[in-house]
Amino acid sequence: MWIFNSVLGKIFEFLFYPFHNLSPWIGMIFISFLTGLFMLFVFRHTSNQQGIKQIKNKIKAHLLELRLYKETLSQSLKAQRNLLGCNLKYISYSAKPMLVMIIPLILIIIHLNLWFGYEPLSSGNTTLLKVKLEETHSPLSTDVTVEAGKGLKVDSPPLRIEENSEIDWRLLVHKRGVHDLYIKVNGEKIKKIVVATTHSLHKISSVKIQGDFIDSLLHPGESPIDDHIPIHSIHITYPNSGMNLWGFHIHWLVAYFVLSVFFGFAFKGVFKVSI
Amino acid sequence: MIHKLQTRNILIALFFLLISTLPLNAYVGPGAGFAFLSSFLVLFLTFLLAVFSLISWPFRFLLRIFKGQKAYKKSRINKLVIVGLDGMEPTLAEKFMAQGKLPNLSKLKNEGTYAPLRTTTPSISPVAWSSFMTGVNPSKHNIFDFLSRDPRNYMPDLSSARIGSPRRTLSLGKYNIPLSKPLIKGLRKSTSFWKMLGDHGIFSTILRVPITFPPEKFRGHLLSGMCAPDLKGSQGTFFFYTSDKEKIKKREGGINIPVTVHNDKIETYISGPENTLLQDKKELTLPVKIYLDKNKEEATIEVSGQKFTVKKNTFSDWIQLTFKPGLMMKVKAICRFYVSQIHPHFEMYITPLNIDPEKPALPISHPFIYSVYLSKLLGSYITLGEANDTWALNERVLDEKAFLDLTYSNHEEWEKMLFNAIDKTKKGLVTCVFETTDSIQHMFWRYLDPNHPALKTDQANMNAQVIEDLYIKMDRLIGKVQEKLDKNSVLMIMSDHGFKSFRRGVNLNSWLYQNGYLSLKEGKKESGEWFEDVDWTKTRAYALGLGGLYINQKGRESQGIVSPGKEKRELKKELSQKLSGLKDDQDGQEAINKIYDIDELPPGPYKDNAPDFVVGYNEGYRVSWDSVSGKVNSRIFEDNAKAWSGDHCIDPPQVPGVFFCSQKINTSSPSIMDVAPTALQLFGVNIPSYMDGHSLIDSPQNSSSRKQK
Repeated sequence: MWIFNSVLGKIFEFLFYPFHNLSPWIGMIFISFLTGLFMLFVFRHTSNQQGIKQIKNKIKAHLLELRLYKETLSQSLKAQRNLLGCNLKYISYSAKPMLVMIIPLILIIIHLNLWFGYEPLSSGNTTLLKVKLEETHSPLSTDVTVEAGKGLKVDSPPLRIEENSEIDWRLLVHKRGVHDLYIKVNGEKIKKIVVATTHSLHKISSVKIQGDFIDSLLHPGESPIDDHIPIHSIHITYPNSGMNLWGFHIHWLVAYFVLSVFFGFAFKGVFKVSI
Repeated sequence: MIHKLQTRNILIALFFLLISTLPLNAYVGPGAGFAFLSSFLVLFLTFLLAVFSLISWPFRFLLRIFKGQKAYKKSRINKLVIVGLDGMEPTLAEKFMAQGKLPNLSKLKNEGTYAPLRTTTPSISPVAWSSFMTGVNPSKHNIFDFLSRDPRNYMPDLSSARIGSPRRTLSLGKYNIPLSKPLIKGLRKSTSFWKMLGDHGIFSTILRVPITFPPEKFRGHLLSGMCAPDLKGSQGTFFFYTSDKEKIKKREGGINIPVTVHNDKIETYISGPENTLLQDKKELTLPVKIYLDKNKEEATIEVSGQKFTVKKNTFSDWIQLTFKPGLMMKVKAICRFYVSQIHPHFEMYITPLNIDPEKPALPISHPFIYSVYLSKLLGSYITLGEANDTWALNERVLDEKAFLDLTYSNHEEWEKMLFNAIDKTKKGLVTCVFETTDSIQHMFWRYLDPNHPALKTDQANMNAQVIEDLYIKMDRLIGKVQEKLDKNSVLMIMSDHGFKSFRRGVNLNSWLYQNGYLSLKEGKKESGEWFEDVDWTKTRAYALGLGGLYINQKGRESQGIVSPGKEKRELKKELSQKLSGLKDDQDGQEAINKIYDIDELPPGPYKDNAPDFVVGYNEGYRVSWDSVSGKVNSRIFEDNAKAWSGDHCIDPPQVPGVFFCSQKINTSSPSIMDVAPTALQLFGVNIPSYMDGHSLIDSPQNSSSRKQK
């Protein structure tokens, strides 16, 4: 799974490379545009284009029927009934491409969350490092230590929370950059990346995890923790990011949804796709 | 087993992934957005319109009452359906009914009415259907032929409509930008009975009735029929592409485009309308690429951003073409492709460029959205007035089978429209005219006439069964219509005229020339089209169109020489005497029965626009093809060897139409002008006194007075 995540991660790094120092909106518009085209491609090749065209024409016909037979109540009601029937059929035509699209889109969204979900830490900021152990290991008896790389400082003694199998530290960022953090347990050393760059767009993985297929899929930012190490996850708390639009803070997912659908609709004529 | 378990686990994992992924709760991805956004929009709009129509309906109902439109209060019926079968011949209908081949028409005859229907003078579709819809004679509705002549230059004009350039334009560089709508004017006068019904709140749907272009405003829906133009502004210009040099020639009703095949590929074009946006009005064209597959006997055609494959001897679906005149404007047309030969020569026919009903360049319906609605509901359909391409068969561009395929395909489109209208009209009028009967009889009548000259050509490969099948198909259509109607509905089936054989053509202009009434320019013994070589300063009479003969009258025609009054009267008398009973020089048969002097026909305000004479040809004769277009030559009589072998432009009493009605009528000799007043009476609307027709159904007052008697 990691190989797959790693390849996908590299692709996103390549795609976003020119946008590191630009407004996140530029990167968002770019990736939404690509997604829109991708959706069009999938839609074109997996949907019943002829059927969609026909059913959309029927929908338009019944809408016109409402106008043409507005003085005949029974015809208006019939037109409305037909409209609803056609609409259901239209949705059913969209089901297949939707199902085909949903898996790659979820993967894309998971990766985009690494880029747009969090803000990097700033110099002088403190954050929490949470190390969650396997349930078989008690935080009170397991020897876990933290070794901070350049630009980071462990700012507190470990806080061991037995009921959560968790050990927490407070970290201080005293220098901008991408820093390495090492957690040592039973002689093993696990690396976790801490991002405190000035880039407006940077990949940020808040969690490094040891887990199964789904866990690995959902946390693709860093290589998973080896199975034999008694740590389940390492979590760094980053501030949540958002897209700023004329002073309004909107979730990146909303922006992505609106823009990708917009590009899809805008270019459907160019690629001759019936949506 | 292990493999199965693994697969199941992956599927379960995927399912949970789909429903529970962290930042994706309640979010199904942009892909779904396509479907959900569109369908939500439809749902929202439906809901909005439903609420609006429900809330506003009582107000609209009250408004109608307030306006005094107490529709249907005096109506004797709920629904009247009139099906026009253009040109259905009474003798054939009677023969096939007697043979039991037309059970549905026989049922109408037995339970209601059947009678021959008197037609107009002249017995030509635009004239007769105009009288049908107005209930008046031609001098009151101003339609005397397909063509009328412009007395200023003796050139032909379409009699029913005038399409001109916009009045105000702005010249900007190479462009001529229109600042007003183009002039589109209907020339048919008087009021249609559906307009009168509409004024009384009665709803009508009028489909493909001739001379309804441009569409008039009234309470109902209308789709224009005969005389609606194609995108080139003509009455139908087909395209014939061939790589055979021997077949490249001038073709009536179409354009011949030579092509060259290079490595099974052809690059050619479609000739579109004039670009009126440009100062020099250059013709718009669309590039076409054709890839031939000799083994599969098919051609792949690339045009207007589309790519489709047509099998040999099969029509394509309607293909939408987009012409771009400039300034971001688009003009849409639809057409169908037919490849008749791939090897050794390539041959392809394209139908005339029909106005796209989905995005009409000219108004072809009322309201404007009605044509769009029909297109969205039923798919693209033919919009050209003269829908069935008889010239393509005449010119041998289509063979008989292809012509029939195309004609019946058009017919199916109209049937769908008719049944949609019947289903949607609970109360009111539905009228639909099918020109299928007219076109097929024109082109296949020769099989009913063993002496027809056209039977000697290599194009005559079918037999009389074609016409019998046509009547049987029409009977089935009537049967389906009958099934849709209840006891409160009235059904009328009618034709505007009948049919007879057209064996020999009479060139009236040649006769006028040889008898000293028409003069040619010095040194000329023949004249080209549209009186090219006629010397008007010495010409006293000329013929134009399908039945008209005109006096070159001083003060009316620009170069007229015959004074109105005594000189004209004497000339008319002389011509009438000489032409009545004119004999064919081949076998001495009488070619002309009667000459109708317009002054002796019923009067009307537009009589001055009529020809001075309508020529009543005998059965077997008609005006020759050359004479129609103003050609003069040495032959007065000539064989008609064209596939167009049946006609009705003869002495009107010889070609009555048919009239079937689900109710009994009060006469055995109805006229086409009687249908309009009958419809008005059935819906309880007063019949205007100016109408020449009479109701075929007794009024309640008449009925009661008759009973008393």
